[in-house]
Amino acid sequence: MTAPIESDIDIWDDDILVDPYPTYASLREQAAVVHLPKNDLYVLTRYDVIRDALGDPETFSSTSIGFNPMVNEALQGTSLASDPPVHTQLRATLSQNLTPRALRGLKVVIDEKADKLVAELAATGSFEAIDSLARAFPIEIVADLIGFSGHVKDNMLRWGQAAMQVIGPLNQRTQESFPIAGELYGWCSSVTAEDLTPGSIGRGIFDAETRGDIPQGAAGHIIHQYLGAGVDTTIASIGNIVALFGHHPEQFELVRKNPELVPAAFAEVLRYWAPVHIWGRKATRDVEIHGVTIPAGAQVGILFGAGNRDPRHYENPDTFDVLRNPVDHLSFGYGPHGCAGQGLAKLEAHAIIEALARRVKTLTISDEVREPSNITRSHELLQVEKVVAA
Amino acid sequence: MRIELDRPRCEGHGLCEEAAPALMHLDDDGELVIDVSEVDGSRLDAAKAAVRVCPVAALRLAAA
Repeated sequence: MTAPIESDIDIWDDDILVDPYPTYASLREQAAVVHLPKNDLYVLTRYDVIRDALGDPETFSSTSIGFNPMVNEALQGTSLASDPPVHTQLRATLSQNLTPRALRGLKVVIDEKADKLVAELAATGSFEAIDSLARAFPIEIVADLIGFSGHVKDNMLRWGQAAMQVIGPLNQRTQESFPIAGELYGWCSSVTAEDLTPGSIGRGIFDAETRGDIPQGAAGHIIHQYLGAGVDTTIASIGNIVALFGHHPEQFELVRKNPELVPAAFAEVLRYWAPVHIWGRKATRDVEIHGVTIPAGAQVGILFGAGNRDPRHYENPDTFDVLRNPVDHLSFGYGPHGCAGQGLAKLEAHAIIEALARRVKTLTISDEVREPSNITRSHELLQVEKVVAA
Repeated sequence: MRIELDRPRCEGHGLCEEAAPALMHLDDDGELVIDVSEVDGSRLDAAKAAVRVCPVAALRLAAA
């Protein structure tokens, strides 16, 4: 056993959050586990170590997925923050409406909406891709899925952003976001079946509660997790799709010519720019990794983006290559807590990529802005200066 | 080796079927069916690939 390898960085520093990849590379070369005393945190930096930790909930507990005690307290009793065996039933309840088999019926509608939206934008000549596409599309899909409209839909962007932000440490961003995340929690605690569109999945969750298929009070929790987890992350992914196709026109051309590459292209977008920067675990015992000991009870941070660029696992990891098809990327996590919404995320993103490949010949980007954010890494602005319709 | 499925954990993402179509498939209800569970030789690589890509770690290889 050797002393832990340390770094004096703050992993939530504004500059690191906006462009974390140079920091990831240096941490990853330092060690597979690096202690960050400023954050009271042990970060996992290499692919194999991250995947092993995600697959070992007995050693790496989800009771501390957030980086402040208030958010971990608030998440108690959800599948997100629980460990097997309690987790198993909560997860089944959460995911039964999100599995690929449950979502099959939605594909046609999602594809049509994506095609219509992208065709309209392609015809405009130039557009801002975050508000008009990356935010507009998932918010509409999730609103339809849960079955709400009106003021709730208007609040989805700020509620969804705040729900992710408060998972961070007690910095200013987290403190400013707690009241907004509270609005979302309040709405989810008070919403009733009658508030939601008949036939929607949200309405179905309440029906399941009435039938006794899921515990009393579970419906609100489930809807909270759909809204908290399914908005900001998908927005980040769709913005990243447009930005990466803009930066790499030859890669976009490959997808246009070969639409069967759509799933591989999305996997590569997720690998290249992870939508989630960091996620927490708690070490349940002293655990030794590559000679470094993480003490029992320590807060652990999983750097998905660092693992996704690990040259020990991916050849030329800093190259964006739609032919790579990295189906084992870490951006959806892995194992019992692997992203429950990944089927829906893929439906949405594949629909957008297919529509871009069909409706757009070329696109160029003139301006790109990211704001620092504790957990998700997304664009605030992405100006498509010129789009040529196909 | 034998392919073992943790049925409650399987959510039907279908990546295993893409990795090893000769060994397993999703049925019409989206339930995973293991068509060939005892694997060796050339089939072992496909089985390992299927285990590897399962996003929720529902598959594993055990000694036959």
